[in-house]
Amino acid sequence: MSRLEAKKPSICRREPLTGERAGARLAALRGLLTSCYGPAGRLKQLHNGRGGPVAATSHSAALLAGLPVSHPVLKVLTAAVRNHVACFSDGGLFTAILCCNLVENVQRLGLTPTTVIRLNKHLLSLCTRYLKSEVCACRIPVDFGSTQILLSLVRSILTSKPACMLIAKEIDHISTLILKAFLLTIPENAQEHIILGKSIIVPLKGQRVIDSAVLPGILIEVSEVQLMKILPIKKSDSFKVAVFCVSLSGDLSDTGEGTLLVSYGVSLENAALDQLFNLGKQLVSDHVDLVLCQKVIHPSLKQFLRTHQIIAVDRIGVSLMEPLSKVTATVCSLLLCNRNDTAWDELKLTCQTALHALQLTVKEPYVLLGGGCTETHLVAYIRHKTRNEPESVLRDERCSQTELQLITEAFCSALESLAGSLEHDGGEVLTDGKYGHFWSVQANLPSAVNWPDLPSRCGCGLYSSQEELSWSFLRSAHHPFPPQTCLSHEAKGSANTLTLDCFTAKLSGLQVAVETASLILDLSCVIEDTN
Amino acid sequence: MAAAGSVAVALHVAEVLETIVSGCLGPEGRQVLCTKPTGEVLLSRDGGRLLKALHLEHPVARVMVACVSSHLRKTGDGAKTFIIFLCHLLRGLHEITDKEKDYFIFENIQTCGRHWKNCCQWKFISQALLTFQTQILDYIMDHYLSRHFLSIFSSCSKERTLCRSSLEMLLGAYFCGRVGRNHHNLISQLMCDYVFKCTACESRFEEVLEIVDDCFVELKVGVTGLPVSDSRIIAGLVLQRDFSVYCPADGDIRIAIVTETIQPLFSVSGSEFILNSEVQFQTSQLWITERTKAIVKHLQSQNVKLLLSTVKQPDLVIYCAGLNGISVVECLSSEELSLIQRVIGLAPFALPEASSQYELSHTALVEFCKPLILRSKRYVHLGLMSACSFTPHCVVLCGPVQGLIEQHEDALHGAFKMLRQVFKDLDLNYVTQTSDQNCTSGPCIYENSRENNELPKIVNSSIQRSYQDTVVKSKGELAKTQTNLKVCSNLIVPGVKLEKNVLCSGPKVAVTDSYQTEETLRCSSPNKGTIMDDHEPYIESNSGNSTTENTRREISYGNLQVTKLARKDSMLPLRYKSLKMCTSQRYYFSSIPAGCVLPVGGNFEILLHYYLLNYAKKCQQSEQTMVSRIIANALLGVPKILYKSKKGNYSFPQVYVRALQTLQTNQPMISNQTGLESVAGKYQLLTSVLQCLTNILTVDLVISIERQPREICDQDSEEEL
Repeated sequence: MSRLEAKKPSICRREPLTGERAGARLAALRGLLTSCYGPAGRLKQLHNGRGGPVAATSHSAALLAGLPVSHPVLKVLTAAVRNHVACFSDGGLFTAILCCNLVENVQRLGLTPTTVIRLNKHLLSLCTRYLKSEVCACRIPVDFGSTQILLSLVRSILTSKPACMLIAKEIDHISTLILKAFLLTIPENAQEHIILGKSIIVPLKGQRVIDSAVLPGILIEVSEVQLMKILPIKKSDSFKVAVFCVSLSGDLSDTGEGTLLVSYGVSLENAALDQLFNLGKQLVSDHVDLVLCQKVIHPSLKQFLRTHQIIAVDRIGVSLMEPLSKVTATVCSLLLCNRNDTAWDELKLTCQTALHALQLTVKEPYVLLGGGCTETHLVAYIRHKTRNEPESVLRDERCSQTELQLITEAFCSALESLAGSLEHDGGEVLTDGKYGHFWSVQANLPSAVNWPDLPSRCGCGLYSSQEELSWSFLRSAHHPFPPQTCLSHEAKGSANTLTLDCFTAKLSGLQVAVETASLILDLSCVIEDTN
Repeated sequence: MAAAGSVAVALHVAEVLETIVSGCLGPEGRQVLCTKPTGEVLLSRDGGRLLKALHLEHPVARVMVACVSSHLRKTGDGAKTFIIFLCHLLRGLHEITDKEKDYFIFENIQTCGRHWKNCCQWKFISQALLTFQTQILDYIMDHYLSRHFLSIFSSCSKERTLCRSSLEMLLGAYFCGRVGRNHHNLISQLMCDYVFKCTACESRFEEVLEIVDDCFVELKVGVTGLPVSDSRIIAGLVLQRDFSVYCPADGDIRIAIVTETIQPLFSVSGSEFILNSEVQFQTSQLWITERTKAIVKHLQSQNVKLLLSTVKQPDLVIYCAGLNGISVVECLSSEELSLIQRVIGLAPFALPEASSQYELSHTALVEFCKPLILRSKRYVHLGLMSACSFTPHCVVLCGPVQGLIEQHEDALHGAFKMLRQVFKDLDLNYVTQTSDQNCTSGPCIYENSRENNELPKIVNSSIQRSYQDTVVKSKGELAKTQTNLKVCSNLIVPGVKLEKNVLCSGPKVAVTDSYQTEETLRCSSPNKGTIMDDHEPYIESNSGNSTTENTRREISYGNLQVTKLARKDSMLPLRYKSLKMCTSQRYYFSSIPAGCVLPVGGNFEILLHYYLLNYAKKCQQSEQTMVSRIIANALLGVPKILYKSKKGNYSFPQVYVRALQTLQTNQPMISNQTGLESVAGKYQLLTSVLQCLTNILTVDLVISIERQPREICDQDSEEEL
């Protein structure tokens, strides 16, 4: 009867962001996401309190999928982040936190949305142009001649998900496996148009992480009894496989819209079975060794095949059929083990993220410096750029010098707080005055110690504090300086244990975050349909 | 339950709606977020969508929403302006009636209650509005406003060609009001590129617009999760499904379309298939297999590399096609099929009846056919070779959330609708009086000529007066036309002014005509009017001037209808009298030519405001003066909102005063805005609002009745359609 009810009028709310409630909810969401960010991030336990599965995660996809969001503005934000993750697998938390920071920072300023949106767009294009340019010092071109950079990328992704519960040795092992699996999906004789193969992740629960492995080809689950009968396979020279995607159960397929009149005594089942046996005989005479069927094989045919030493496996399912049809191409199976179900789920998600990141890196052969260094470097670049060349902006965007400075500061501090949220243990975050990189030092240092000497390596691991660097606190007022552009060659070479981020995913995340923030700031009213 | 319908209530409702929509109006407008009960979120600045999303209950509000929807169906644009304009009109009426409670005196209804008295007064006003809309508005558009119109076409020749920069300006202004401010440049550029890429032959762009408008759903692909700046146009057609089987192919790729399963079935609908033995069954199955193979083989021999099917094909067909190197796409929607057929003009091939006759003429060439992967979703990408003026292209719209992509889709679709409207002629028709001085009803074209007072008091010699006036007026008009021509090079000279030249050059024709008209009038019986069509002399004069696109016909009627009207209005003694004295009327048929535009930023509103006030000053009839004044003032509501955030020299009062000064001194209007908007769209909006207002005013009582829920539901669905 619900269909017949008249519709209730909607609720219309003006200025959805100015209310105290909205502000508090946004802050709550930001706090929740920030605490998950990075290798030292805290885990969140998701459960429904009614005996459902429990998940401990810090992965944005798992987190946002389970998080109930009621405020319409937050719905927009989470939807944007989830769509980004669906596209790129990586950089969800980055996008979400940056977007929250931007909205909150700009909201505080009280400028008109027009100015804010125009200038944010300008600053964004400043960032993307720099990141795509050759002089960019936080981008490293990928050398496919060695595995170093790719391995660092995979390791950084694994490290950033503490819910996988891996120790350093295990991380090394799994990283190698992931890279191997990825390399197995690249066709041998590749022409100009490469179609990557598939890597199937197979759960091996209850075994040690170190037991995880990569196998070329496909694994098909067979019951143990059947397996005992199959083994040992004597033949070694050639092994013929027949794959069927149609049902071999002998049922009658579509006979048309008219009527089918069957005379008394005529059995269509028998007729169909006859044909199945003919097929069986054909398979035997063709010396087929293995018959795979997506759907059901008739028990009599199965029996027939077994008596002729042909292995028959049915009900493969549609999900395995696609890689099966490509079996001659490039498919591999990644057997993953982990300590418990929750950790395994997180590890699987992380492996998929890493494989996806590798694919994206092949398309766009660059990686970005991780560990907060890209963010702090960008901040230094933007500050310097808007301070020293504001004329063109002021002319093009029709705004005042003060407005430009306010928005730039809001944008930069959003990026800085994002980098700063990598530090969860109360440590101090510093930035240097030469490269604009991210350095963190332990908390509660004895006052006698000269703290600037303490950080040994920057967030991404590219620079060490051996050089004479000037330090300043992140998020403290300091003079804008031109960060050193153009990565030096020795820096590229020393890329042993760098923390790296996927270039494509991060760049798109940056754009999505700024666009979504502009969208949210542009809202003048919310109409809620309460039906 | 019944509630009195009144202007106060309607005004209250309109004001509430105005506060919502005015926030989204114009380039400074902001977004509105709509949440659906399903949890989806939608971003919108589309007035029509917002009004629907509100699910309003108030009866007056529902009337307004219904009027807006019907207007949108016609034009696809202007919902927000509609509400704002309506609100200002109601405000104007409310103020007037507050001040002058006894403005209209009706002796015969004084005994009734005050409410009914008010209602009659509203009815009276609504009639005046109707008169205004049907007569005065067209007259003012034709006589005064038309001289300011610009054209979107690049040349004044008969061949219409699109001018890229004007199209950009038109679309830029449109998208300013429809999509978020950080995207409107990008979207309008995208749309502009799209129009030009799709148009194979410049002069046949209208056909392209029609196809795109009809099939827009099939021509766009939405991709969530990517930044909006990744939106792009790709050549060819993208089908929103994957290949059932894909075989890479090079060289000549032919396609065939089927609408039925290729594999023969045991029995078709309405027939019986009798199985007598198991062998017969097996043979039949074998025959079916062989025949399917043969048909697919035949397709291959015809070099068919792609089979498009509207139905799901059996596994056997897919298998055979794969073996023969034929890619298959199944389950095409009827819309997709009709689009493909429109583009390449290919009919589906009929399956041969007998196994021997394989005649397959229905195949077509395509440039390419390959899978397209957008955000890990697979699509079929076809490079169709167009047989019409439409070169198929698809627009890929990216955005972080689905709601934003939908907004951009709606805006693009709306823009195509709007463009189609822009390229249509819009008819104007109105009546002018050609009689003596005392005639006060309807627009009187002679009132503004100075000669009027100097004329001798020869009341009867209307012919002579008409002649003189025409000459004087034409001279003035001609001068104006020339100044306008000098100033704006791409200004289209509307037919109206040329007409004046004609009249000037051949006054005798006009005189004799009107004389004849009067003659016929006097002679004709009151039941029969005579139509005089003096079409030919004008055609003759126009042939020399190529800028005139529409010849204007001037038809004189007998005033049968007028006397009828007069009888109807006999309860109003004043009007009756005046109408009776009119002896002749001229019915003009003119038009706003296709492609007429004005700069944005309230230009149309300010112009119409100015001319209406001028008209009101000269008009002798009190009710028309009042209506014209109210409308003129209400028109300013939109520019006031548009200039709200501007300061200093660009604030509304400054702009307004400057505009009035230029108009009074007969200088061309200079606009600091870069966008353009359609005149026809604005005109239609105005008439729709006036009709809506008439609707609201004529209702005196709202009665709420108990109805079956089903009927209410039906009503809802009708509104949504």
